[in-house]
Amino acid sequence: QDEAQAIDQELFTEYKFSVDQLMELAGLSCATAIAKVYPPSSFTTSRPAVLVVCGPGNNGGDGLVCARHLKMFGYEPTVYYPKRPSKPLFEGLTTQCQKMDIPFLPEFPAEPALIDELYGLVVDAIFGFSFKGAVREPFGSILSTLGHITVPIASIDIPSGWDVEKGKADGLQPDMLISLTAPKKAALHFEGRFHFLGGRFVPPALQEKYALNLPPYPGTECVLQLT
Amino acid sequence: CHVPVSPQAFPLPSLPRKQPTVLVVCGPAQNGAIGLVCARHLRIFDYEPTIFYPKRSPDPLYQDFTTQCEKMDIPNLLPTLCVCPLKVQLINDAYNAVVDAVLGAEAEAAEGREPCAAILSTLKLIRIPIVSLDVPSGPTPRSASLGQDGTPPPPRLSPCPAQHHHGLIAWHFVAGRFLPYDVQKKFELNPPEYPGTECVVALRAPR
Repeated sequence: QDEAQAIDQELFTEYKFSVDQLMELAGLSCATAIAKVYPPSSFTTSRPAVLVVCGPGNNGGDGLVCARHLKMFGYEPTVYYPKRPSKPLFEGLTTQCQKMDIPFLPEFPAEPALIDELYGLVVDAIFGFSFKGAVREPFGSILSTLGHITVPIASIDIPSGWDVEKGKADGLQPDMLISLTAPKKAALHFEGRFHFLGGRFVPPALQEKYALNLPPYPGTECVLQLT
Repeated sequence: CHVPVSPQAFPLPSLPRKQPTVLVVCGPAQNGAIGLVCARHLRIFDYEPTIFYPKRSPDPLYQDFTTQCEKMDIPNLLPTLCVCPLKVQLINDAYNAVVDAVLGAEAEAAEGREPCAAILSTLKLIRIPIVSLDVPSGPTPRSASLGQDGTPPPPRLSPCPAQHHHGLIAWHFVAGRFLPYDVQKKFELNPPEYPGTECVVALRAPR
């Protein structure tokens, strides 16, 4: 977890990347990976409806970007974003989604069965690699409901609620994980079918410095399938 | 928004030189900044870009783009005013292609001002392919001035759906897959469909 935070810091302070830049590339990777594994034509619901659940931090921001690109790729995303930071970055991302007719739910579906009926996929963009400590409401109940749905879950960077290094045996079990920049230790405990790498922006020098040993991305793709 | 067109038109294995070198010529405004972002992604895609950015923008965002490139070891040719590093033969010999990110569609006023004019007259004489971002840079973008001077037809790229263009262009891509539908409708843009999750679509390719 410390290393992931150090890499992030270096990208922002030494390399002068903006959060906006990296978040955009991260969100695009997530949407791209999802489109590769769950193309719109594969949905059993009448329309390719996706529920994107966004948390209170950067992982939530990644989710907003992802939702926007999913819309561009022909999906019908709906966002649930209960705790919104009052920062221009997140306000901007929210506006971009709203202006693209992406609905924001006023409340979270109460029953797992409702989610299964309405959506073909859920994107978990609640907590990321900075997550520590206890899960605060409303996310505790959300995670509990998500634990009982049958449609696949795609988690951005870390399955929400997991310890970033040790995982969580009784926590969320997503079908897909999109690790951003590099897989975190928790990914060792991932048991879903699809593990992708995204966030193709790490300069070669930084990869070396932290001995990331990332396998090469194919061609100009912004995602790499690891399993 | 990144611009990965060069690999589609000029994939790494097809390049004539041993090193996958590309010269990215960046003008002083937004078109130049797009060039900087393009150079960074080319580096990630394992090309060896070199930047020529003689007149730098004071915009902090664009200055950050410059830092990102420098920190990724993308060399910047020195813009000495007396000796223009852009010598035609040097370019032909050292690079596989040139990315023209000098002037964009909005640049009516900047044309003719140094160092753009000198750069553009050098680019008219080179023999290697040119990829222009949005419009081929130059005083009369609507004419075929580049083609008429005997340069190879340039591939080009439009951040927004195609502007009208005449002349010998071998590849034409549209990029900038970020326009919301209501903006597309409002301006009657009718962009083509992008394939799958691609962020560029070829409007024209050589047979």
